[in-house]
Amino acid sequence: MNKTMSIARYEYLHHVGRKRFWIALIGVPLGFVLLLGLSTLLSRLSFDTRPVGIVDHAALIQIEPDHSKESTFFEPQIYLQVFPDESAARVAIETNKIQGFAVLPEDYLSRFQIVYWANKQPLSDVQSVITDFVSKNLMVSENIDPAVVSRINEGSQISLQSLDGSQVYDGSNTDRIAVPILVGVLNFILVMTCGGYLLQALVEEKENRTLEILLTSVSPKEIMTGKIIGNLSIGFTEIGAWILLLAIAGFIFRNKLEFLMGLDISFSYVAISVALTIFSFIFSAALMVTIGAMMTSTAEAQGVIGLMVIPMMLPVYFFGTFMNNPNGLLPRVFSFLPFSSPLSIALRMAIGSVSRTEILLAFVVIVLMTLLMVWFAASAIKRGMLHFTPRLLLRRKFNKETPNA
Amino acid sequence: MSTIIVDKIAKSFGSTQAVKDVSFEVHPGEIFGLLGPNGSGKTTSIRVILDIYQADSGTVTILGGPMTNEKLNHIGYIPEERGLYQDVPLDRCLTYLATLKGMTEDQIKDRLPKYLAKFDLTEHAKKKAKELSKGMQQKGQLIAALLHDPEIIIIDEPFSALDPVNTQLVKDLLIEQRNAGKTIVMCTHQMNQVEQLCDRLVLIDHGQVLLQGELSEIRDRFRTNEVIIEALNPLPEHINGVSKIERLNDAHRLTPQVGISAHDLLNELVSQGIELNSFEVAVPTLDEIFIRVVKEGNGHNE
Repeated sequence: MNKTMSIARYEYLHHVGRKRFWIALIGVPLGFVLLLGLSTLLSRLSFDTRPVGIVDHAALIQIEPDHSKESTFFEPQIYLQVFPDESAARVAIETNKIQGFAVLPEDYLSRFQIVYWANKQPLSDVQSVITDFVSKNLMVSENIDPAVVSRINEGSQISLQSLDGSQVYDGSNTDRIAVPILVGVLNFILVMTCGGYLLQALVEEKENRTLEILLTSVSPKEIMTGKIIGNLSIGFTEIGAWILLLAIAGFIFRNKLEFLMGLDISFSYVAISVALTIFSFIFSAALMVTIGAMMTSTAEAQGVIGLMVIPMMLPVYFFGTFMNNPNGLLPRVFSFLPFSSPLSIALRMAIGSVSRTEILLAFVVIVLMTLLMVWFAASAIKRGMLHFTPRLLLRRKFNKETPNA
Repeated sequence: MSTIIVDKIAKSFGSTQAVKDVSFEVHPGEIFGLLGPNGSGKTTSIRVILDIYQADSGTVTILGGPMTNEKLNHIGYIPEERGLYQDVPLDRCLTYLATLKGMTEDQIKDRLPKYLAKFDLTEHAKKKAKELSKGMQQKGQLIAALLHDPEIIIIDEPFSALDPVNTQLVKDLLIEQRNAGKTIVMCTHQMNQVEQLCDRLVLIDHGQVLLQGELSEIRDRFRTNEVIIEALNPLPEHINGVSKIERLNDAHRLTPQVGISAHDLLNELVSQGIELNSFEVAVPTLDEIFIRVVKEGNGHNE
């Protein structure tokens, strides 16, 4: 095993053996499940499932309300109940049997005005249930074919095309938005956890003077490369474990997740996004090492990790700009910055199209900048890591040096 | 052939000149003392030798040429303080550091237990460094520096945290390494250890070489004709041929006037009826030479 792989192996085993790795490994999905469960529970508790009454003075209703779909905890339904008159509906409200009732006045067909009676503001779902039901009855009263009724209710799919022929947005491509979300999460996890481990480990080595020992055994580039490979492997272990957990959960709840089968995401799209994310992480890791060379304590290093996320999430802050014009100036500029490139390209590919040439160019730029940053970081290890006070000044890095041999 | 040749190296940090025109050579089979007060440039010189810092000017030749990654495998280094992973078991830490020196797992499995036993650390092998005493950590560092059987050993303050028993253990080990033909560079403030161990030395201060050579030759160079006597009866206030009488604990240091030899002085003392328990020519200690040279050096610098 060469020295680089020895460093990578040590980094990996060292961090995987620590409590905080396992806390993160178990804590993140557990926290996610708890948050999801809590928000679902709160949402469910605030969802009023009592039926909604309807009083028809316009003699419009010809079909019975549809109660075929079962109301469950995860998919609660609001059923409609037809009342012969308003007084019967009022009694039902007072006895808590319904949450409110809608009245279709005699002149509904001329004014299209519905009055809703209730003691509290209804959920938006109530309005949808009432208008859908009334619309269906309107169409039936006009003898429109039920198949056409169904099509009208489904609505139309709008596809936007740019004048140069490249696709800008297709309603059927909403699945692809999953990729930028994946890239965002992946980036966040890699920088916050693996980058955090890397920066903290380096500052600790600087404090312990173990770095001085390492520098008398291996080159700074080997140290850098080994640490990045080790920490990247930790990230993939975490993500792999979470994917496994998701797969298990998916298998258990497979009946509820049938919609996933219809996802239309190409392998190349995911591969481009993941590859850019890895290079972006290497760039961030190298930058962290450079910053670590200027840090004097682990507490200082902790603060820096949070700052790294800000430029990474630039496309999120400018989400509106991306949606309006994914091939505009700002999205294009962000596509060539190592921090924001993965999310920018993934987002642009999800809502529009990015030419192969541009993707290739972005790769070339990101790889070159990453290599430059790694070189810079290796130099920082050697020059900065042994300085404790005063802190290393960036300008010191640029001082001309003469080889000693 | 010299194992290490340092030729007129200079290194600055900003406006601070840490090392200036330092030159010396270290040969195989010797313990070489790199001495100097705090901040004198010793550590910077070592880091330049180890290629951690690149010299602004001058050259360092290691094992016949410039430093390479491969040559790092032939060097064992112990910095002045710490150097071990604090929250990692000692055996795992030493194994890791040994792999970085190019050792195979089999070699480590073979040698590590022997070294741990030699340094009485076998039962502490699974403890984290932070759970060990300073002395144990120091011994752990020694193992890290020696496990890969290096040709060159560079060691900064090797006795700083050791009790007398372990100090002797390390001294024996360094002598054993010297006898095995290894090149040892030792930085220390403890002059008594230098006197016992070093064959040659260099003294630097303010980044410049003030003194270098063989220990015996340096002592001769600084030898005076002062004598130390233990008298059985009180000394008179004035003794012919003596310019200064200095009282030590149970003895006196006599400084003869110019042209008066130790033999002349002995005759004078006997003729004055002074009964002597002992009479010896004073040999300057390395401490005294160190202080004198550094003071003179500072005088020059000022």
